Amino acid sequence: MSTRDKKIVLDVQNLKLYFRTQAGPVQAVDDVSFQLRAGHTLAVVGESGCGKTSLAKAILRLLPRNISTYTGSIIFDGQDIMKYDDEKFRREIRWHNIASVPQASMNSLNPVIRIEDQLVEPLLIHERISRQQARTRVAEVFEIVGLPVDFLQRYPFELSGGMRQRAIIAMALASNPKLIVLDEPSSALDLLSQANLMNVLKRVKQQTDATFILITHDIGTASELADEIAVMYAGKMVEYSSAQYFYTDAHHPYSQKLMASVPTLREDKELEFIPGQPPSLINPPTGCRFAERCEKRFEKCSMQPDTTYLENGSTVQCWLFEETGEVKHA
Amino acid sequence: MPSLARTLPEEQPTQQKAVLRVEDLHTWFEVRRMGFFKAGDVRALDGASFELYAGETISIVGESGCGKSTLAKTILGINHITKGSIFFDDEDLSTLDKEGWKRYRSNIGYIQQDPYGALPPFMTVKRILEEPMKINGVRDKAEQTRRIRQVLEEVKLAPIEDFLPKFPHMLSGGQQQRLVIARAMVLEPKMLIADEPVSMLDASVRVEILQLLQALQRRHNLAILYITHDLSTVRYFSERIFAMYGGKIIEKSSTAALLEQPLHPYTAALFEATSDPDAENLKTFKDVPAGEPPSLMNPPPGCRFHPRCRKMIKGLCDVQIPPEFWVQEDHAAACWLYKDEV
Repeated sequence: MSTRDKKIVLDVQNLKLYFRTQAGPVQAVDDVSFQLRAGHTLAVVGESGCGKTSLAKAILRLLPRNISTYTGSIIFDGQDIMKYDDEKFRREIRWHNIASVPQASMNSLNPVIRIEDQLVEPLLIHERISRQQARTRVAEVFEIVGLPVDFLQRYPFELSGGMRQRAIIAMALASNPKLIVLDEPSSALDLLSQANLMNVLKRVKQQTDATFILITHDIGTASELADEIAVMYAGKMVEYSSAQYFYTDAHHPYSQKLMASVPTLREDKELEFIPGQPPSLINPPTGCRFAERCEKRFEKCSMQPDTTYLENGSTVQCWLFEETGEVKHA
Repeated sequence: MPSLARTLPEEQPTQQKAVLRVEDLHTWFEVRRMGFFKAGDVRALDGASFELYAGETISIVGESGCGKSTLAKTILGINHITKGSIFFDDEDLSTLDKEGWKRYRSNIGYIQQDPYGALPPFMTVKRILEEPMKINGVRDKAEQTRRIRQVLEEVKLAPIEDFLPKFPHMLSGGQQQRLVIARAMVLEPKMLIADEPVSMLDASVRVEILQLLQALQRRHNLAILYITHDLSTVRYFSERIFAMYGGKIIEKSSTAALLEQPLHPYTAALFEATSDPDAENLKTFKDVPAGEPPSLMNPPPGCRFHPRCRKMIKGLCDVQIPPEFWVQEDHAAACWLYKDEV
């Protein structure tokens, strides 16, 4: 299967999202660039506070009020959606073309409204189709996520957590979006429900050719779905790699350390932890943000590394690869 | 064999005295209708028996609602025992008076899941660590200071002077959890109960906390009950693994034997559902049972897993509760599939 012939659905360049606080701007997403091809799943991994959820919010333009910087370009399906005004974005992009499943959204269903009415509503608003058509569509997606259609008549409390999560995913699928952003879709679920949900998402991926951005801290779960892995650290995307290589051959020292800290069930390995803590995003170090905790740091690390393109198609932000890879200046 | 999954010294199970012995322990919670009429019982823990030795870790794995936290809380004396007994150092807990309970509680340390929720936000590190000593009669100031210094050193919250006046919100998640461990250790307990101690922490910190617990265990010969839903950490941290489902312990095994071959279909499903980072995962679907764990108010007859089990034997699994079958010396499953293999 060639990955190069598929169309680029999302092209993010130099995206910045800073929040205003009393202590100064928080650089939650700082100069992030990546491309995602249609039908592919990108897993954004990293530890809490690394900016992965902020990245999702920046793409969907679901922003809090205290924004100090929101710049860069997001080319979605050939259009620079950063140039859209809020009303146009709401009408043409959000939910219609980019749907999202936020964190813990299975608890966001209204407890006093039947599931069907809740799933139909966004279709009526965003797709402007008749209620009857919307109902048919909702029944279709319910089947895709593996829920019995008669559950549509139930109230949220009558469904288990795993089922509610699947109902939410059905809701995101219903408008047939080109891109779905899933923020920690399975972390609130039990192990078996989690595995079931991953099966569902895999089936959706095969049947509908949907493009996903999966945000997670769990690399094991990410490997169930991801074609590409992006590692974020302190607001920067430090590595972007094909999943095929990433688990065994991560390049950035942080990615390597992160992989070494993941416990495995089937393989016995020496687990490591990363001493120290991520830097504050209010006054981050001027150079590489991982330098302070990095065993391989050298003088150059006091400068922000350029993005280096490696032979296998990965990109990495680390001075160690300056010579082996091809550096493209931003 | 895994290098980190330690096996028991040979003479241990028979000759060494158990720190904790649990016999046929039941914890049921009464459910009332309209606040007065008894509507039934939630059988959160329905018959558990095992022994825990000094210097050993038992991992208890299972999904939410399987009774693993109820087991921990019953051992801690937070829940009442409905039936069965708990022996600590050969002393039956039901015979203890108020002083005896105090003595018992100072011998078990409890490490909670959410470190921030477990630490009082208005107390400094120093006070958090002094509090258990004040309550449990360590009144000598010099002794208090000595112990605080020792535990903070052991959990590597250094430099100590910097941490003493801090409040919990000034610490990172990993530091908070280390403080919780320090508090559990300050009374010099013989046993630790760790209820999901790392599930709220980031991957890179998780390993640090588990290694810290392991180091403490070696130094003080602690018995540890490690409760978790995350199978991937247990191999690095325990000698024995118990799996729980629907209020019952359904599989007991040494870590090595379980990793080689889980016996109970439910444990096997837990294994199947756990993903290790691997690019091959993308191509395969997971073979896990559908459905939900049973209601513990009206548990199904027979084996509680039988409605979801593909290997169910009609007329047996749905009728009779399976006893423990010891298939190997160190490996038992409560499953009728093994009735002929004993």
